Amino acid sequence: MQFTNIQSILQKELAIEFRQKFAVGGVFLFSATVVFLLYKTFNNISPREWVLLLWIIMLFTGLQAVVKSFLQEKQETWMYYYSLFDATSLLVAKLLYNLLFLIIVFLFTVLCLAIFSGFPVRDITLFSVGSGMGLLGLSVIFTFVSVMAASERASSILMSVLSLPLTLPVLLLLIKVTTVSTGLLADTAVYDDVVLLAGINSILLGSTFLLFPYVWRS
Amino acid sequence: MSERINIKGMWWKGLGVVLFLYVIVGGMMIPLKPGILSIQPGNAVNGDTVKLEVTGYNTHFLSGGDLRTWLKLDSSHFIQAFQIQATGETMCKATFAIPSSMASYTGVQPLTLILDNEVDGYSIQPNAIFLAINDSLSTGEGWDSSIDEPLHAMGQIRFPYRNILHETIRNTFFHIALWFAMFLLLLAGLWHAVMYLRQGLPQQDIQSAAYHKVAILFGLLGIATGSVWAKFTWNTFWTTDVKLNMTAVAMLIYLAYLILRNTIADEDKRARVSAGYSIFAFIALIPLVFVIPRLTDSLHPGNGGNPALGGEDLDNTLRLFFYPSILALTLLGNWMATLLIRYEKIREKMFYHS
Repeated sequence: MQFTNIQSILQKELAIEFRQKFAVGGVFLFSATVVFLLYKTFNNISPREWVLLLWIIMLFTGLQAVVKSFLQEKQETWMYYYSLFDATSLLVAKLLYNLLFLIIVFLFTVLCLAIFSGFPVRDITLFSVGSGMGLLGLSVIFTFVSVMAASERASSILMSVLSLPLTLPVLLLLIKVTTVSTGLLADTAVYDDVVLLAGINSILLGSTFLLFPYVWRS
Repeated sequence: MSERINIKGMWWKGLGVVLFLYVIVGGMMIPLKPGILSIQPGNAVNGDTVKLEVTGYNTHFLSGGDLRTWLKLDSSHFIQAFQIQATGETMCKATFAIPSSMASYTGVQPLTLILDNEVDGYSIQPNAIFLAINDSLSTGEGWDSSIDEPLHAMGQIRFPYRNILHETIRNTFFHIALWFAMFLLLLAGLWHAVMYLRQGLPQQDIQSAAYHKVAILFGLLGIATGSVWAKFTWNTFWTTDVKLNMTAVAMLIYLAYLILRNTIADEDKRARVSAGYSIFAFIALIPLVFVIPRLTDSLHPGNGGNPALGGEDLDNTLRLFFYPSILALTLLGNWMATLLIRYEKIREKMFYHS
């Protein structure tokens, strides 16, 4: 694992992202459209629905965003990577890139929701810590699954079939933590849930690092 | 073609079948301990003389010998029925004179009914009637401080009688044992997946897939038996209980594994990816099934402060069938897995020969 390698992969990803603006634009447009659609149908969104909608939008936009990053690579590109880097640096770079992308999409979605239907969060620290943990978990799962789904014919279907059940534990905890942060539920033990979330994240992260070198070679 | 069948290597299949038959026959035939089904009326006032109509279950009120009954307020306040009349093997009428003095109790107090005869032994019904207390003296007169005669114990092997559960307590041998067996089979599948990633032999992939398939089957059966049980005890096929929903998620994760195996055409890649996914899925399963339900409230034993296995719910007569059932189901599952493995191997052989 070398930091220069990680850096160069990250730079390359960002460069591609800026060259192919339609893909990024598509993700943001998707999120904005869904928010607007929900705003028009619900008219008045209660805090509980707000949290739920936020994470459902995040789930699907995140899925789209990450699918793109691994699936756009051609078979030849993989071979090229394989000759250049070891698996861990590639994984770290992809993971960081996906996390960064998810965070940006998340901020954008929160902004859209806030403009259209208010910002019900009371406890900003809890909200940001919880969401950060959750986004990390989602990006780990999406990255790992997209490696497996890559270079298959029905890869985007496979991607959602594999990753949606895996994200459920993270998502359930996440919705609970963020609901508490809106002040709807009073839960003194909410930081236990945050710790649990961190625990799940570290397990997932550890197993991804262990398994990635095996799964990647194809 | 003179392949000899190795009978000696098959003892475990026989053991599995014999043990499972033992569990089915024994688990279904052995009756429950006698218990109390219902008591009418459900409430009284202190100073009253109440006539309780007791309906028993598996009891021998007529032929069981000397029938005695008590109401218990706490461990030092008992009253014995001054008159008791059995009208059938499972019906009796007991008349109590409830003292008007209630020691230091006020408000509404639950009383426990204790019933005893020579054949059935004793049975206990907590919260049998609720006693409304109107201005009582605090002397505690009229209550016995203990039961003076010894109670009888049931000699034969019987399953415990539990309120709400009744006869469905036998489902312990199937529902819970299925989960244990499923978990052991998943471990076997995990082991083969890890071995595949380390050594890369195609047969290890076949083994891993076979164990996973049988484990998924057991998981679905576990959900089905649990659902039927829930209909009887909790009056619904599906509840919001965490453990149920987390297992449902776990099942979805493993069903996705089956889809994954069917999507990838290239055998080598399929083996590697599905081994990776199954290990990842198993790791994701641990917090789902073992951590989260223990942190939140659940209707299941062992969660949310309920007693786990080994509390009073699993007594020695149940253990007599519960542990063999786990062993039997694991062996049968292993047998199914070996059949799947052989089928896959033969299919592969035919595929390459043609």
